[in-house]
Amino acid sequence: MIQGVWQGLEAVFKVRRPLRYRLPVLDEEIRRQRTLHEAEMIHHSKSAGVAAPYLYDVDPPASTLVMEYVRGDRLKDAIPPRAEGTREVFREFGRNVGLLHRAGIMHGDLTTANVVRRKGGLVFIDFGLSIRTERLEDHAVDLRLIKETLLGAHPQVAPAAMEALNRGYAGVLGEARTKAVFRQLVSIERRGRYARVT
Amino acid sequence: MKQYVLGVESTAHTFSVSIVSSDGRILCNAKAVYKPPEGSGIHPFEASQSHIAAAPKVLSEAISSSGVSLTDISAVSYAMGPGLGPCLRVGAVVARTLAASLDVPLVPVNHAIGHIELGCLLTGAADPVVLLVSGGHTMILAYSGNRWRVLGESLDLTLGQLLDQFGRYHGLASPCGRAIEEAGAKSRRYLRLPYTVKGNDVSFSGLLTASKLLLERGEPFHDVSYSIQETAFAMVTEVTERALAFTGKHEVMIVGGVAANRRLAEMMASMAERHAAVLSSVPLEYSGDCGAQIAWTGWLAHKSSIRVPVEESKVQQSWRLDRVDIPWRE
Repeated sequence: MIQGVWQGLEAVFKVRRPLRYRLPVLDEEIRRQRTLHEAEMIHHSKSAGVAAPYLYDVDPPASTLVMEYVRGDRLKDAIPPRAEGTREVFREFGRNVGLLHRAGIMHGDLTTANVVRRKGGLVFIDFGLSIRTERLEDHAVDLRLIKETLLGAHPQVAPAAMEALNRGYAGVLGEARTKAVFRQLVSIERRGRYARVT
Repeated sequence: MKQYVLGVESTAHTFSVSIVSSDGRILCNAKAVYKPPEGSGIHPFEASQSHIAAAPKVLSEAISSSGVSLTDISAVSYAMGPGLGPCLRVGAVVARTLAASLDVPLVPVNHAIGHIELGCLLTGAADPVVLLVSGGHTMILAYSGNRWRVLGESLDLTLGQLLDQFGRYHGLASPCGRAIEEAGAKSRRYLRLPYTVKGNDVSFSGLLTASKLLLERGEPFHDVSYSIQETAFAMVTEVTERALAFTGKHEVMIVGGVAANRRLAEMMASMAERHAAVLSSVPLEYSGDCGAQIAWTGWLAHKSSIRVPVEESKVQQSWRLDRVDIPWRE
């Protein structure tokens, strides 16, 4: 990520640089694909009603996206210390994820580093791993990553945050679908190594 | 005064006994490894029989090479889980018997925590992002708030299982990692295979199926070995990189049996360099399953007064490491 100016606008240049540990043939394909995907999915997420950065330019051969610079804090650095504020922001988080899923979009990388909190709401970034899918399993994988991140990085707020997220999600998708997705989430966790019933 | 802890490991193919001192010296690390027949994996009952047969010899070898007398032992620790039931029970019986007859505390240890703590002891890593890769685990971990937290993991097979099941399909005996590494080193021909990263997690089942298909189609074993390694290792390196960036930590450590693979270590080194992080690799002798991981973690737990009465001591085949409180770390 490089901050800069594009056509007079404050911008972020997201350059997917080659990873030296990956074979070039594999690496180039992955970078090109994720760049294209991300551009497309940013567009789709807006159609779904979820805020994402303005996209200024796409350059697949250079695996570069030029985007609006979103002012605000990454959610991981802006988790409210008190349960009350946490609930509010995670209900909003859940509502947005619900909107994405209702539109058949799996974000694919829903960590608290990929949601920016700015005045007026949340902005979702980093759609490089997103796919179009209606599958219960895929939607549950999205929620699983949120849960994993919360338990891994913000254990003190995790239970309250997940509950609030569930409610925000259910507000969009309804109780039945929400129950089904969360049941699928438990089933994925049970497939995990050495998991006991959670 | 210096104390000594004896640890017993028997979660899977390895039966091992080690004695460590409270100042972090490993005085012995005797082991016997069960080898399944070619083309097959660990048979839990067969492995446990092999452990029973090997136990007396391994135990006496450990004691005699340690230079410590049994009466100097302050606690006996054992791998309570996770692992294969029949195998775990052999180690538990040996540990219970020793603890009861020496009249010292019996300390239960989580095998995976053992890999991490021994790694920290041997490499001096203080607060690393850990890639734990073995037949039983594929997890990316970091310590926070009294526990090792899982930042990413495999959604299906472990890296060790991927390599073993691929190798066995070709007729090798588990563990197959070494043979696949050697075969892969002979090739530079990459065959396209599915690369599946989902957020911070990886999935290997599609990769395994596709690799087997390539063998069936007559692609040479060394080319497929090369390709499966390049794909799978890049996947785990990528998710480890994500965890490193996310946590902002400055150390990375690889532990577990697959840590012995040089190509994986090379990729991890390249990744760590990008982030100016220090990469620690556990010496070969201690990266795979061994008694030292149980003895050393047993000492740490003993220091924190963790123990279990002999009559209540059980084994747990399923015991995730993020369920274990770690009172000895700050």
